Amino acid sequence: MTTTQPAGQSRKRTSLRTDILEDRPVNLDGFVEEWPEKGLVAMESAFDPEPGVRVEDGVIVELDGKPRADFDFMDTFIAAHAIDIATTEASMAVSSDEIARMIIDPRTSRDEVLAVIRGLTPAKILDVVRLMNVVEIMQGMQKMRARRTPANQAHSTSARDNPIQVAVDAAEGAVRGFAELETTLGVVRYAPLVAIALQVGGQVGRGGVLTQCALEEATELELGMRGITAYAETISIYGTESVFVDGDDTPWSKTFLASAYASRGIKMRFTSGTGSEVQMGNAEGKSMLYLEIRCILMARGAGVQGLQNGSISCIGVPGAVPGGIRAVAAENLVASLCDLEVASGNDQSFSHSSMRRVARLMPQLLPGTDFVCSGYSAVPNADNMFAGSNFDTDDYDDWNTIQRDLQVDGGLRHVREDDILAVRRRAAEALQALFRHLDLPTITDAEVEAATYANSSNDYPLRDVLADLKGAQSVMERGLTGVDLVKGLEATGFHDVAENLLTVLRQRVSGDLLQTSAILTPEFVPLSAINDANDYAGPGTGYRLQGERWEELKKLRHVTSASNPETEVS
Amino acid sequence: MSSPTGPTSTAERTLRLRDIGPARRGTRPDEVVIALSPAFAGIFSKTIVEVPHAEVLRQLLAGIEEQGVTARVIQVHDTADLAAISHLGARLSGSGISVGVLSRGTTMIHQRDLARLSNLELFPQSPLLDAPVFRQIGSNAARYAKGESPEPVPTRNDQMARPRWQAKAALLHLKEFETIEAGRGPVEVELDFELSSAG
Repeated sequence: MTTTQPAGQSRKRTSLRTDILEDRPVNLDGFVEEWPEKGLVAMESAFDPEPGVRVEDGVIVELDGKPRADFDFMDTFIAAHAIDIATTEASMAVSSDEIARMIIDPRTSRDEVLAVIRGLTPAKILDVVRLMNVVEIMQGMQKMRARRTPANQAHSTSARDNPIQVAVDAAEGAVRGFAELETTLGVVRYAPLVAIALQVGGQVGRGGVLTQCALEEATELELGMRGITAYAETISIYGTESVFVDGDDTPWSKTFLASAYASRGIKMRFTSGTGSEVQMGNAEGKSMLYLEIRCILMARGAGVQGLQNGSISCIGVPGAVPGGIRAVAAENLVASLCDLEVASGNDQSFSHSSMRRVARLMPQLLPGTDFVCSGYSAVPNADNMFAGSNFDTDDYDDWNTIQRDLQVDGGLRHVREDDILAVRRRAAEALQALFRHLDLPTITDAEVEAATYANSSNDYPLRDVLADLKGAQSVMERGLTGVDLVKGLEATGFHDVAENLLTVLRQRVSGDLLQTSAILTPEFVPLSAINDANDYAGPGTGYRLQGERWEELKKLRHVTSASNPETEVS
Repeated sequence: MSSPTGPTSTAERTLRLRDIGPARRGTRPDEVVIALSPAFAGIFSKTIVEVPHAEVLRQLLAGIEEQGVTARVIQVHDTADLAAISHLGARLSGSGISVGVLSRGTTMIHQRDLARLSNLELFPQSPLLDAPVFRQIGSNAARYAKGESPEPVPTRNDQMARPRWQAKAALLHLKEFETIEAGRGPVEVELDFELSSAG
């Protein structure tokens, strides 16, 4: 039973200040007490196992206090595939204090840290990051993230699944700087049209942007194999066997799926995050971060290049317990410590308070991650079919200003209105021409005009949904592929867009996008941990926001000119 | 998300469930079974947004009765899984239709012939279920029982439900799980409503 009076029922007189505080947005957020026995605790739990490992005849026979006979399938998978058996006993012998210091010390190289981490068990990694406060976690992230140059990812979706909206918002997102674009659907059958729209719009905005469509796993794989999408991310993994089994999956089935992508040269990453197990009632009495570390090691064991983590869709759970956002920052760091690309959350509605929204972002924005948001909403949150992001289109100018204030690169930039209108119109026109060429449902000139100036899905003429769904079905039935899109764009006069898309598709032949943290520059140069390795070694080293990029980020919507203060520069 | 739907008057209905024996398969083709989770009107008295359990049942019953259909209420003790509760209710229902309800408010309309993990209508976002929605759910369940195909109750969506309610929902879920009594079969219950002053 509740012991406190529900809000609004108190008859006691309260101070006027209390009334103001009660009305602050932060008090609309939910907070709960910890319950460690059930796993409702961020990262400090007496019920997490003690670190330990024992190797016999080249096999791990004891992991974090559990003998091999008692292993669940997560333990078995991790012991067999995720821990370097040759070095584990030596690495485990290094004290947690020493490893934590290695992580934050610029004189210890990233490679030296990776070498030690490779031999650690889940409980030992937890023991190490538990020693670190948020500033130390950020310092670790600055050195340990795999790619030197930080980047960002966007969601481009539509509450009406309107493909034109998805195309133009993808184009705008691309020109604003997102390196990856992701969509999903309200009505799943719309997927082929919306995935095509995302791909075309993205390549209009900026050649080399990578796109994906989050769907049920078989369809997602098929769209990837056909070249309608460029990568995949929504392959979820969990930290307990019971939750895995609930989803009819195992570490091996997920690994098999990952290899299906790799077999076609398609970039992919797994998804996991703190809070998912306790949310599903099967945390087996372990802390959220301990279970997430098991996921991270499972991802490494599967051989995937990266992971989307940072609680993701369960952010309301760690967000509600003490130290939860520290744990979320720590889980991103652990993914980097395991040499994985990290797409670091900040992708789901998190708080009613703008101050909390920004504070939750700082541990990723300030040090930089491979993708600061694994889904900044490049549409208004009401159109976000991932159920809303921590940041949306309304926040673009604030984001750009924060980058400029702190001189940090969050992957975005201010773009002039005429440039934005131009790419939006062109994306709509390209999709219009392509749909006509492929005999897909008509896009009218009125829709192109509306798309150029629109903000949300409410600003577009309504589509004939049944005709669209028939068109979407025909895309699948006719077996259309990315090459058909290229041909159609070329045939309808969108040569540069066709060229951009073809160049993205050719990456799957070279396999360069399978390297850790790979993205494409506007010149189609793959930028990954291989050729853009993070070389942070203290002040003055690593990625620095300077030169041309810094000049670009100095621009905002309104900046008073120094030479003529009666005007603004833009 | 607006503030919780709290009781507005000082008089509040309280509800007691009286166990009247093992739940049996109904024979009336015009009945809907309402299947309640283990902690409903037990350790919990209201949903996640403070709709009293008494009100939830009153609205469901009213919705069913306004369609000229009768209702029977059972409580399940050996699981807190909504699909399992609802499907069990459907199998005990003379019409094959049930409404399953968790203590926090999550609700499902189920049918005997469907797979357990399938359903007729699911209302997963417990914070968005208020009294009028429960009444519509009752009404729709009754219409299915009569062999009609009603328009599904419109589902709502609120992207700020996550920051406000996700963790509390997890906590309520864990608490409800603790009240599970393995091996105890479903029981038929009678409802004792009392009007009490919540002063």
